[in-house]
Amino acid sequence: MTKTLTINGKIYPLDTKKTLLENLESQAIKIEFHCRDGHCGACRCKLLSGKVNYISYPMAYIREDDILTCCSKSQNNIKLATY
Amino acid sequence: MAYTTFSTLSNDAMKEPMFFGNPVNVARYDQQKFEVFEKLIEKQLSFFWRPEEIDVSRDRIDFMNLPDHEQHIFISNLKYQTLLDSIQGRSPNMALLPIVSLPELETWIETWAFSETIHSRSYTHILRNLFTDPSEVFEDIVNNEEIQKRAIDISGYYDTLIHSVQYMQLHGLDNQDNIEYINLDGEKEVLTLRSLKKKLYLCICSTNALEAIRFYVSFACSFAFAERDLLEGNAKIIKLIARDEALHLTSTQQMLNIWADGKDDPEMAEIALECFSEGREIFLQAAEQEKEWAQYLFKDGSMIGLNEQILCQYVEYISNQRMIAIGYEAPFPVSTNPIPWINHWLVSDNVQVAPQEAEISSYLVGQINSKVDSEDLSTFEL
Repeated sequence: MTKTLTINGKIYPLDTKKTLLENLESQAIKIEFHCRDGHCGACRCKLLSGKVNYISYPMAYIREDDILTCCSKSQNNIKLATY
Repeated sequence: MAYTTFSTLSNDAMKEPMFFGNPVNVARYDQQKFEVFEKLIEKQLSFFWRPEEIDVSRDRIDFMNLPDHEQHIFISNLKYQTLLDSIQGRSPNMALLPIVSLPELETWIETWAFSETIHSRSYTHILRNLFTDPSEVFEDIVNNEEIQKRAIDISGYYDTLIHSVQYMQLHGLDNQDNIEYINLDGEKEVLTLRSLKKKLYLCICSTNALEAIRFYVSFACSFAFAERDLLEGNAKIIKLIARDEALHLTSTQQMLNIWADGKDDPEMAEIALECFSEGREIFLQAAEQEKEWAQYLFKDGSMIGLNEQILCQYVEYISNQRMIAIGYEAPFPVSTNPIPWINHWLVSDNVQVAPQEAEISSYLVGQINSKVDSEDLSTFEL
């Protein structure tokens, strides 16, 4: 079963080896990014369901249901919404 | 309450608020109340660079070949950036160090302001290369009316905070019947710890607007030239500056959000609520001023890839992003980035400083990647 990444209600396949930002970009989804290193917060998204693992320390402020897509990966189905 | 350089009070720094608690005594970093500031220090140190590393000699030829109105855009933009970093190189130290209470935050503020002084030095590096005598450009920064308008607004919040904190540290707050506090407008004002905290809150809002909005508008102009393969040395320097600014804006966003979410001084959480609309006004005012600035930049004509209208749309776009990040609704209708190419200049990881070399910011000296997956050996046969 392929894993899925849902963003703003649209479903895409999820590559668990790539960061969420890379996943979105590989599906040609326009998403904001600046530093790609977890410190500027430009790629902040809302996490609707699922879980992420950070590959580096997220320095930008993230509220409980926020995630940074540039420095996180997901092993399972995940649902996000952009701001 | 007088400032002391080494308080002998045996306090627990883990229980202090970010500001207006006891002064920091032992500079210890083995424990942090807010780990993020320690991470920011480490990241900022790993970003260290010097303007002399970047060759800007080709820029002079490019600059001489620019039409007059584009020279005006380039130089005015550089003047504005010089102003912003002149303020930022000293103000966080002057305003925040006397009232900070956490060791990791104190060191972050010093590291932050120091990196801004590198930025200031790089503007001199750029201008010295463009002009035989750059004095005229520097002198205009204090005389130019358009720049002055912005300077007053930005430095105002810092000055108000500094002035009132100086009174508090000299006279204390309990003796105001005998020694009146006369504020910067020449008016009598009764200070309370809460009113000082309010001044701090607004000052951080204004600093965040400076670093997260004003700087990015100026970056857009610098990178627009480089998109046309012009003034690339300048763009390489600005790219390094932008990489640092991303850290600085994160630190002030962290402070504002930590307060608003009640994770620090409970009184600051109340103030965040109380100042919600005043804070919003600071951001909207900054956006408005940046649009006026765009008008001044392009008064004699636009350049390929950027004009007043596009830059104003970017002001609105970036203001939306930054305001959402600290809990405000997006005030402007624009929802897509009008200059998406700018994001590629803002990536921190791979900052190219010379054509033949790329400086990888996350490069770890003397370390190897020790993670080996068994799959990596799958084609290996014995």
